[in-house]
Amino acid sequence: MRAGISELAARLRNREISSVELTKAYIDAIEKLNPTLNIYVYLTFDTALKAAEKADQMLDEGDAPLICGIPMALKDNICTDGLPTTCCSRILKGFKPYYDATVWEKLKKQGAVLLGKANMDEFAMGNTSETSCYGAPLNPRNTNYVTGGSSGGSAAAVCANLAVYSLGSDTGGSIRLPASFCGVVGLKPTYGAVSRYGLIAYGSSLDQIGPLTNSVKDAAIVFDAIKGGDRRDQTSVDHDYGSSLAECLERDVKGMRIGVAEEFFDGINPEIKSSIDEAIKLFERNGAIIENISLPALKLALPVYYIIACAEASSNLGRYDGIRYGHRASSYTSIDDMITKTRSEGFGDEVKRRIMLGTYVLSSGYYDAYYKKACLIREEINREFDAVFEKCDVLIAPTAPNTAFPLNYKGASPVEMYLADICTVPVNIAGIPAISIPCGEDSRGLPIGMQIIGRRFGEATVLQAAHFYEQSAGKVIDDYEGGAVI
Amino acid sequence: MAISKTDIEKLAWLVRLSFSDEELERFTAEFDEIIAFADTINQSIEGGTEQIRSVGARMVSFDELRSDEVAPSLSNEKILSNVEGYNGFFSLERSRK
Amino acid sequence: MNYEIVCGIETHIELATKTKIFCGCTTEFGGEPNTHCCPVCTGQPGSLPILNQKVVEYAVKAGLALNCKINTRSHMDRKNYVYPDLPKAYQISQYDEPLCEKGYIELDSGKRIGITRIHIEEDAGKLVHENGYTYIDYNRSGVPLIEIVSEPDISSAEEAKEYAEKLQLTMRYIGISDCKMQEGSMRCDVNLSLRKPGDTKFGVRTEIKNINSLSFIQKAIVAEAERQADILEAGGTIVQQTMRYDEKTDSVAPMRDKENSDDYRYFPDPDILRFSIDEEKVEEIRASLPELPFDKLKRYMNVLGLPEATAKLIFRYRKVAEFFQGALAEGASVKNAANLIVGAIFSNMDTEEEKELFDIRISAAQFAALVKLADEKKINIGVAQGTLQKMLESGKPAEEFIKPEDLAGISDETLERLCREAIDANPRAADDVRSGKDKAINVMFGYIMKKTGGKADIRKAEALLRKLIGS
Ligand SMILES: [Zn+2]
Repeated sequence: MRAGISELAARLRNREISSVELTKAYIDAIEKLNPTLNIYVYLTFDTALKAAEKADQMLDEGDAPLICGIPMALKDNICTDGLPTTCCSRILKGFKPYYDATVWEKLKKQGAVLLGKANMDEFAMGNTSETSCYGAPLNPRNTNYVTGGSSGGSAAAVCANLAVYSLGSDTGGSIRLPASFCGVVGLKPTYGAVSRYGLIAYGSSLDQIGPLTNSVKDAAIVFDAIKGGDRRDQTSVDHDYGSSLAECLERDVKGMRIGVAEEFFDGINPEIKSSIDEAIKLFERNGAIIENISLPALKLALPVYYIIACAEASSNLGRYDGIRYGHRASSYTSIDDMITKTRSEGFGDEVKRRIMLGTYVLSSGYYDAYYKKACLIREEINREFDAVFEKCDVLIAPTAPNTAFPLNYKGASPVEMYLADICTVPVNIAGIPAISIPCGEDSRGLPIGMQIIGRRFGEATVLQAAHFYEQSAGKVIDDYEGGAVI
Repeated sequence: MAISKTDIEKLAWLVRLSFSDEELERFTAEFDEIIAFADTINQSIEGGTEQIRSVGARMVSFDELRSDEVAPSLSNEKILSNVEGYNGFFSLERSRK
Repeated sequence: MNYEIVCGIETHIELATKTKIFCGCTTEFGGEPNTHCCPVCTGQPGSLPILNQKVVEYAVKAGLALNCKINTRSHMDRKNYVYPDLPKAYQISQYDEPLCEKGYIELDSGKRIGITRIHIEEDAGKLVHENGYTYIDYNRSGVPLIEIVSEPDISSAEEAKEYAEKLQLTMRYIGISDCKMQEGSMRCDVNLSLRKPGDTKFGVRTEIKNINSLSFIQKAIVAEAERQADILEAGGTIVQQTMRYDEKTDSVAPMRDKENSDDYRYFPDPDILRFSIDEEKVEEIRASLPELPFDKLKRYMNVLGLPEATAKLIFRYRKVAEFFQGALAEGASVKNAANLIVGAIFSNMDTEEEKELFDIRISAAQFAALVKLADEKKINIGVAQGTLQKMLESGKPAEEFIKPEDLAGISDETLERLCREAIDANPRAADDVRSGKDKAINVMFGYIMKKTGGKADIRKAEALLRKLIGS
């Protein structure tokens, strides 16, 4: 297995390697692979090397945080002061925020080394990363397939070892789905556990930043580094997790109550179903108690998600009017015309579809039947999850009904594409944490992802269960050959 | 429920989007399917009549709100750093050929 | 045909908080363009709003002062519309859970104009149109506002003006806004429809936006009511639309904007948590309110016995009223204190603003010391007025200007001697008085006052003169 953050941290500390050397190894690999894989949309090598030098100093001084000096990537919707942040949209081309997202501010302080901004679906709307205005990133495991989305670049960067870890954002599965398609670990934290300040909004009541990593332990380490309340995000919570989550992963699952809801397995590819069944058996053999549970409102989760996310998005994306930043149409007859042209030229089709759906469900005459109804069902879904977590510690479910799609898959309508989010959206609706970890490969050799879902602020239990599986299941997918040589 | 091209155009105006005729044709068809999908929520569970409020049950008390203390604003250069400004203003030609 | 006016007013008032409603930028007026700005108030991607506590407190104060019920739970909504002065393309406002509801303002006639609701929201930036360009300044973007919505209870232009005036005075009093209509810190939108007397159904209404003076409210209503009546008389129908009042032509015309067709798509702002204010907090805020202006006016008239005209001149300026009450607390008499304020202090203050500011150099205690000299008849009102002017100019206490002889007054013998002199010097006037031309006595008063520097007791002098003349 590839070196994890703690191993690299140890090597940095015993001078086996410096952060600058480590960073250069990643730069070399990116230069070699990125032109094909299209994972990074903006490279920050100069600032990376400077940050690496600074990290080496911090390491020399001792007492540096675990992630100090370790090269990583940020999804292109996380604001970085002075560096382009475009949400992979034409409308934000050239936009350089003059402020840092809170997560990036935190990581920077801890000596993180940013290699570049990772490709994604435009404004995080999509599950293949193909809606990016820079073209889709390729799945490193098989370049005929998509990375999944929307944090496709972030997942692929970790998969191809073009970053030790990355941050993505997850509104309806955008961390977990690409993690599952690329065969890496992706954690969507509890809503509010990580500040959203500086994350360019898609669906504000659903968006959450989280890590994509090679191992559960790394996910815990990165989560430790970014979590916490923030004065600048009122929806963030300063939850007391007790201690470092990375330090209390070792735990057996004896007596752990694991819920399995049939609704999560409706219409799931049989290969995926059997992989998850295997995993459940492994937990059972090790003393976990399997509870068969039911979440009937889940069958409405997908439309509920799309209605709420798009409603919020239609409002959140109103600000891209060509006046203060980003693209501005070059010829127009009035200010209204300028705004209309700017937006029509600047947004891609999927973004337009979602803005239109969101506008429709909020418009007078339809509000009650769609937006309001969706909010009421959301509450019902929350109640069902609350009831389930009375008797279960975690739930196990597939991350997606299928493995990665082939690139440019033309057979599906927009709504058929939405179906890939069916297993992930309930978690965002309820604001609870979930992790996706690799749990096998399908017959084509494409990774299968398993979701472990916890109660609000139940990250510790989720990570413990995931870590246990990762340690006990042995090798479930092949290592990616390539990437940085350290 | 079928949605007309005129409905689409009306909605599009609210959010300042415009579509070419061909786009509109395609879009209207797609949108029909999307609305039908969204409509599935109306085929089950009778919704209550309660008011919808902000996210979830979380609420803050008056005492937790931000206190009224001035924080430094950003420089005009920064505020205008992503556009061409004019005398400190954001500037916008009202029409352009 | 006579029509009945049905009118409601929506008033926007800028709150005098130090910072904006959702960020720490200053609300200070003026400043170079776009220098009171940050990512939040310019709608930068990724920025998030954080609600200012003071805004909630001030809105609750407004609600309590206007007899409203305070909702202990409230939340913010987004009102979506596109305009270059609105950086997020939505205004954060309140839709179905406003902070305050169901209050009223009582007019002098005793009629109550209902307040439907008071909610908090953010102001937009400013646009400047010049040479084919539009320039935008977001310094005002995010300045907190309250919107006070009245019931359609107003039935005349005069009532509308009185309503707005009372609202303005009350808001100034409780210190939440300076409510300067010319500067835009108070702006009114008037909704107006006509109906035949006795009708219970409302007619189609129009909205006159952004009226910026009290008298324009009155004029705009008269003009719009006339316009609507003309249409109805001619058998036409009123179109529901947004209008603008043009003060130069004293007329009302429809606005050209597409605003009329907007659908605001309100929904709860997911970035801002719902908030609560418990009863205890509301009571604490209630206790912090000063005596409200119209309660004060009643007390000045009914308890202190001030004539209505004088009471009205004093109560409307919070600082003046405080100064006045301060002097009373120091033992000054109601009548002399009030008359000296209105007669002497106000003579130096030409504008409403100066009275509002009431920036004077003496304390209420120093003022009271002077009033008491007059109360005890140690000086007459004329001396008191003169002395007060000198005090106001110098900031020095009364004793600096009043000589012992002023305090002693004019002795009876001196006064009698002066009266004789006055008669001798003005024999014709004395004759006139004798023959019944009473006014002629003023000539002799003038003589005495001149000789004594205004210090003689005029009533005593009159009695003496009449005795000596034998009229
Ligand atoms: Zn600001």
